Amino acid sequence: MITAGWYPIFYREMLLFRRKLLRLGYLFSAMIAPIIYLIAFGLGLGRNVRFQGSDYLTFLIPGLVAMSSMSNSYTWIATSFNLNRLYFKTFQIFVQAPISPSSIMIGEVLAGMVKGLFASVLIIIVGFLVPSGFSITPLFVLILLLNCFLFANLGVITGMLAKSHEDTATYSNFFIMPMAFFSGTFFPVDKIPNFIKPIIYILPLTHTNIVIRKAELDTEGLISFSVLIIYSIAFFMYGSRLIKNYNE
Amino acid sequence: MIEILGLTKYYGSITAVDKVSFRIGKGEVFGLLGPNGAGKTTIIKMLTTLSRPDAGICLIDGLNVLENPFEIKKRIGVVPQENNLDRELTAYENLLIYGMLHKVKRIEKKIRGALEMVDLWERRDSLVLSFSGGMQRRLLLSRALLTEPFILFLDEPSIGLDPQIRRQMWDVIRKTRIDGRTVVITTHYIEEAEALCDRVGILSKGKLIAIDSPENLKAMVGEYVVERVDGNGRLIQHICRDREAAHEVARDQQPPVIIRKSNLEDVFIKLTGERIE
Repeated sequence: MITAGWYPIFYREMLLFRRKLLRLGYLFSAMIAPIIYLIAFGLGLGRNVRFQGSDYLTFLIPGLVAMSSMSNSYTWIATSFNLNRLYFKTFQIFVQAPISPSSIMIGEVLAGMVKGLFASVLIIIVGFLVPSGFSITPLFVLILLLNCFLFANLGVITGMLAKSHEDTATYSNFFIMPMAFFSGTFFPVDKIPNFIKPIIYILPLTHTNIVIRKAELDTEGLISFSVLIIYSIAFFMYGSRLIKNYNE
Repeated sequence: MIEILGLTKYYGSITAVDKVSFRIGKGEVFGLLGPNGAGKTTIIKMLTTLSRPDAGICLIDGLNVLENPFEIKKRIGVVPQENNLDRELTAYENLLIYGMLHKVKRIEKKIRGALEMVDLWERRDSLVLSFSGGMQRRLLLSRALLTEPFILFLDEPSIGLDPQIRRQMWDVIRKTRIDGRTVVITTHYIEEAEALCDRVGILSKGKLIAIDSPENLKAMVGEYVVERVDGNGRLIQHICRDREAAHEVARDQQPPVIIRKSNLEDVFIKLTGERIE
């Protein structure tokens, strides 16, 4: 069986993922945080709130999908990549195989995307079950895929840079957690004080949240889409470079 | 086949490998012998593309490892010192992923052959985490041989194995040699180096201090050893060039005295004043 260089990496992750799926806890752990937010903010606090001319749940659900796809694509890859590199040493077999660094990157990122999409689909299902104006457009799907790709790339970078398993949690606390709350998931970024806005607009999830709620690409959406593309390419190239320069 | 010139590696202020040079011929079984921290694993990591030298050159088949890592990876198989199997995958899946990474043709047949060689075919569908340490070492060896590499690197292949499994491992390594492969073994087991290696390089504190066949190394320092334990429980050893010289030395010692043939550990002690641990 001759395959592209990235496929064995992806296939390995899927074998491991399939085993984890069979454990009951995994399904719940992927869903629990977004469901809590949905109940607390959407069905609780948000009952009397309206944003951008629609009810709060219609605003919130795409944001939760973006947040969930970010955290699942990122966390799984960052954690497993770091553990495989530092503790289980399984990363060595990738480095010692005749495949390119970008093949390793593609395999891991695609696996991260699957995990991000899996969690997103669970939220989308719940989103259709609660009363809201939430709907899926081709642009929504495209941005969801792009968001998973971007954050899986960031996961590889964290997995390569973190010097211990505890470090991955530190990276998460510094970058992922603030993004989840301040990038337009729960409220529009225009409600944020002006002096913080420049920082907020640097964060990639802000641009995902801007464009994922649009029915079609307008000028603002196009700018955000371009930012996401630039981040994705930059993260992919940097991750590939880190793998290429791997040195024990 | 393998040529190392002035190989050097630093970890911070520590010189892990210090200007090491040697050659290994095609089909040779070459051992790197030395205590923990001597630099054996670091040399293997540099030869197998995991680690970059700070100075010096590694050539395999005339190809510089740093400049042609892709070609080198097609030629080598590695049994690492640290177990890097996927514990949550089965034995079969571990070999399947490895075979796919190395683009092995007729992979199912080869996986079966590799697992049968180490008596693990019956356990192919068991998760690796259910395997004993010895089974995991055997699986690592079968994985390394799956690609039929020209050069096999074994980093402490029998560490932690009981004597019976260790000898089974040696049989597989000997068969590898019959198949014409070049084998590089690092070990701190004297018996292993003597049982398997055509030539041995002795490392101490990152430096190569001697290199030759086990027989020549022993002849160089003396073929017999006279041993006795003194009143403080210390082992006193005299290495003698031949049996007659040993008997002469033994005559002057307070009994009980043991006369035995020298081994590579005696060579190491003679050359460095340290023991291999």
